[in-house]
Amino acid sequence: MIQFFHVSKRFPSGQSALDNVTLEIDRGEFCFLTGASGAGKTTLLKLIFREEIPSAGQILVNRRNVSSIPQRKIPYLRRTIGVVFQDFRLIERKTIFENVSFLPRILGLDASRQKRVAFEALRRVGLSHRMSSFPRQLSGGEKQRVAIARSLINEPEILIADEPTGNLDPDLAQEIVKLFLEIHLRGTTVIFATHDRALIESVGHRVLNLAHGRLVDDRPSRRGSSPGPAAPSGETETGDAGGSPRVGDSPS
Amino acid sequence: MSIFQALVYFVREATTGLVRSLRVSVLAILTIAVSLFLSGALFLASQNLARTVRGWRAEARLVVYFDRASDAERRGELRARIAAGAWTETVAEVSAAEAGRRFERAFPSLAELVQGRGGALPHSLEARLRPPAAGEATSFAAWIEGVRALSGVEMVDADQDWIAQVETLLALVRGLGLALTAILLGASVFTIASVVRLTSFLYRDEIAVMRLVGATEFFIRGPFYVEGILQGLLGGGIAIGALAGLHAFVRQKIATSAIAGLLADRFLGPSQLLLLLLFGALAGWLGAVISLGKESLQPSA
Repeated sequence: MIQFFHVSKRFPSGQSALDNVTLEIDRGEFCFLTGASGAGKTTLLKLIFREEIPSAGQILVNRRNVSSIPQRKIPYLRRTIGVVFQDFRLIERKTIFENVSFLPRILGLDASRQKRVAFEALRRVGLSHRMSSFPRQLSGGEKQRVAIARSLINEPEILIADEPTGNLDPDLAQEIVKLFLEIHLRGTTVIFATHDRALIESVGHRVLNLAHGRLVDDRPSRRGSSPGPAAPSGETETGDAGGSPRVGDSPS
Repeated sequence: MSIFQALVYFVREATTGLVRSLRVSVLAILTIAVSLFLSGALFLASQNLARTVRGWRAEARLVVYFDRASDAERRGELRARIAAGAWTETVAEVSAAEAGRRFERAFPSLAELVQGRGGALPHSLEARLRPPAAGEATSFAAWIEGVRALSGVEMVDADQDWIAQVETLLALVRGLGLALTAILLGASVFTIASVVRLTSFLYRDEIAVMRLVGATEFFIRGPFYVEGILQGLLGGGIAIGALAGLHAFVRQKIATSAIAGLLADRFLGPSQLLLLLLFGALAGWLGAVISLGKESLQPSA
């Protein structure tokens, strides 16, 4: 699903972010990406959704070489990848519904369909009752769940999370991890960047460890290769895990 | 997304952008309004003046004054020669007596200067000429000079002489107007560019999110282009309103001012008003294009 072949990334300032990284992440796999601050986690993630271009090496996502995708095709790549950040990146002046339904809108779905898919995505994260709220009215955990709902709106094949629990207290962090595990259970490939060792150990999936831009450790999952129930104990508040329709990836 | 849906979205986002950075938006709109108003006022004045000059040219006359030594036979020869001129439409001889009567009518208080003094004014010939076509100016001027040089002719008054001077002045005013328009619109474009750049800066985080979820450049840039166009249209609308007000004000003065009549006889036509609006929209769009250069909407690091 995702393949890195001898990928290096050096910024114009001369700083090296990644150095000769080769790795492969299978379809439906859940893997943690860890390492100290500045190890290259964020750069590696940005390379996957073509926020950055490698200085050397090749990256294949779904057998497409993302380094050579023309600029105009990048939006279509990104519609197949959900991205969640530590700082949520919600649009403050828009309601939760508007934040989540942005992609369906640019894909040209009619208003009722937009509402339906946004409701479905928010229901999956347990926030369907907050559609008309604004981000400032939500807690940190709720904001992150909205960001996850937004990333799920198009049923992406890949979900990338860059320190999604970094701004949350441990309880909320566990809640968010549960959500990602549920999403993984439905077949989505998840790459979860964190430096929270305890969190990683509690889940037990594959761990890619970066240090100074190099992949220094690739520890396989203790749970076997196929996705399986991996959520830490405790009830989730995310509603059912039934499938929701993909909103389509036709060009707008 | 259909074009109509996209347009609705662009207009809504552009309006929000205008309101969000209201002060600078108003500044941009006023800048373009002032530019278009001044350009429009110059155009309006020069257009009315040109219309007046065209009228003058259509009624232009050539008055040939005979010298007192010319007898009737010579005056007849001269009349025939002038009547045969390529630009002559009609000729009429004015006798010395008729010239005296006209003078008395035109200047009653000076009538005593000619009363009882037969031959105080010379015989003359009034010729109505058709305006020379483009490219005939040199040959026309040569013909006038030829008439002046004829034996028996004392003096020639050609309206074309001063009309040509007015036309030169008019061309100069038009040239200055065009230069001023270019400078002012250039200033407007850069003001709008600054405003759109500021708005895009305010929205940079949203733009980053839009890129993240897979919005195309068309979708990201559209609202900013529409914002520039809206600013231009609003500026154009204000300029047209101000021009109409100025025109109405000057029209009120026509009865007492000949200049007002020359400059404000008619207002701009619908196509010219539309052109003014389009200029505004074009300046706004250009400002947005300049401000959204290739790199300006890239996410901040």
